[in-house]
Amino acid sequence: MAELSLQHLDKIYDNNVQAVYDFNMDVKDGELIVLVGPSGCGKSTTLRMVAGLEDISRGHLLLDGRDITQKPAKDRDMAMVFQNYALYGHMTVYENMAFSLTLRKEDKNVIHKKVLAAAEILDLTSQLNKKPAQLSGGQRQRVAMGRSIVRNPKVFLFDEPLSNLDAKLRGATRREILLLHRRLGATMLYVTHDQTEALTLADRIVCMSMGHVQQIGTPIELYDKPNNQFVAGFIGLPPMNFLDVRVEKGMLRGAGYDVDLTEEEKHTLAAYEGKDIVLGVRPEDIDDGGTLPVEVHSNENLGMNTLIHGSLAGRITITAKLRGWKDYRNGDAVKVRFNRKHFFDRETTNAIREGGQ
Amino acid sequence: MNDERIVTDRMRYTKNTASSRLALLAILFNVLFFVSIYKSDVGTYYYTILIGASIIYNLVFMLAAFLASEGVKNYKRSFSWVLIVLGVLQLVRIFILPVKMHSTVMGDPIEQSVQILSMHVNVTMDNLVMGDWQFIRVCVYLIASALCLFRAAHVNLKKSSALAAHLANLETMQA
Repeated sequence: MAELSLQHLDKIYDNNVQAVYDFNMDVKDGELIVLVGPSGCGKSTTLRMVAGLEDISRGHLLLDGRDITQKPAKDRDMAMVFQNYALYGHMTVYENMAFSLTLRKEDKNVIHKKVLAAAEILDLTSQLNKKPAQLSGGQRQRVAMGRSIVRNPKVFLFDEPLSNLDAKLRGATRREILLLHRRLGATMLYVTHDQTEALTLADRIVCMSMGHVQQIGTPIELYDKPNNQFVAGFIGLPPMNFLDVRVEKGMLRGAGYDVDLTEEEKHTLAAYEGKDIVLGVRPEDIDDGGTLPVEVHSNENLGMNTLIHGSLAGRITITAKLRGWKDYRNGDAVKVRFNRKHFFDRETTNAIREGGQ
Repeated sequence: MNDERIVTDRMRYTKNTASSRLALLAILFNVLFFVSIYKSDVGTYYYTILIGASIIYNLVFMLAAFLASEGVKNYKRSFSWVLIVLGVLQLVRIFILPVKMHSTVMGDPIEQSVQILSMHVNVTMDNLVMGDWQFIRVCVYLIASALCLFRAAHVNLKKSSALAAHLANLETMQA
């Protein structure tokens, strides 16, 4: 049982730079929360505040209802896995994994059982006598995780653990972390700048920008119903296309093109009649066979899909992910349609939802 | 897995630090021995070739004991026999220089050397080359060094046998 509550957390450094603003979140027992955002958005700082590696300037941190804001890192019963593994090079895998327990002067037989159990979970049994230098990046990261597992902490904290791995290994290790989470059922906080990791791993995602929480929700919520333009642009690959349009007579009028609206969409935009808004369209929500003219600039075949970069009505750069294998050439004209649309207020950048909010 | 089996199983992933440290302790006692024996007037009454041989033996001993300590650290059974031989030699050394020095009087260095070389140990005069206190000390150092080596060898033999049996058992189980 490990429920974590972050209440109005602020981080202000000595030079008055504020890295985190009013961070609020309740993490349920066994939940995997992913903090995602671009570099410098405050996600790692938040994680370090939870770990006790950074002081909390304002706010409270509660673990199972107990205030641990002022507790030192060693007394918080949390284990952190770092990007650079932080393994001891002169120790074997076994010794690395046993080290924290040895420091706590736990019984050697108990340590042995815990290390073997963790090694079994992480498929490291055959590597226990090796030194970190003899292991691959993925194996090293698994050792770092094993070192956390043996401690049996209440909360696992991961600070960009896959950033040092190549793409293939990253995918494999990501799946291992997911399996590990299912197996241990532990509460985990995971920091990454990679939105693919966030979408595939998280029970809930916290999207951050400039120290502010932009949205907290399930992966599908962030993908389907982004709160604002930042979240819409950050979640999803390739990123969402944003087009400046005006709502006029139940249509969206852009520079040289018009977009029809469904009845539901008209209802949503009723309050914006005659106003400028931002239309967001994900590349995968664009299909060929419509009425909107796109001039192809480049054509990337991905196997199942074809990625097209082009210009809409000869002016606005747009990316479309079309189904199937296409062989468009530079300069070809394609007619496309938007299957699904997102609307954003141009001034606030917030999403326009049902009822014009 | 019961506790005894866990202790044995642990050896698969941990070093035999007990034996290794005992072997290093034996080296330390040997250092104390040769620091003590070359002290004061003793050197004057040594026959030059014995001093040289003693120094060379000390170097060889330390090297061999160190290598053996690394060997037993990894549960290598053969290094236990090396440690036992080194331990026996430490005990034999008591009867070479310390006993002779303890029974030799100071006087003409050449005469003393002749006495040493001729194994003349029955000289009982007041002014001994090695006094009682120094003699006891060097003997204690050599005995302590030998005991450490024997114990290191014994621990390693015991542990390496247990580990070998455990590994064989695991192999059988896997097969």
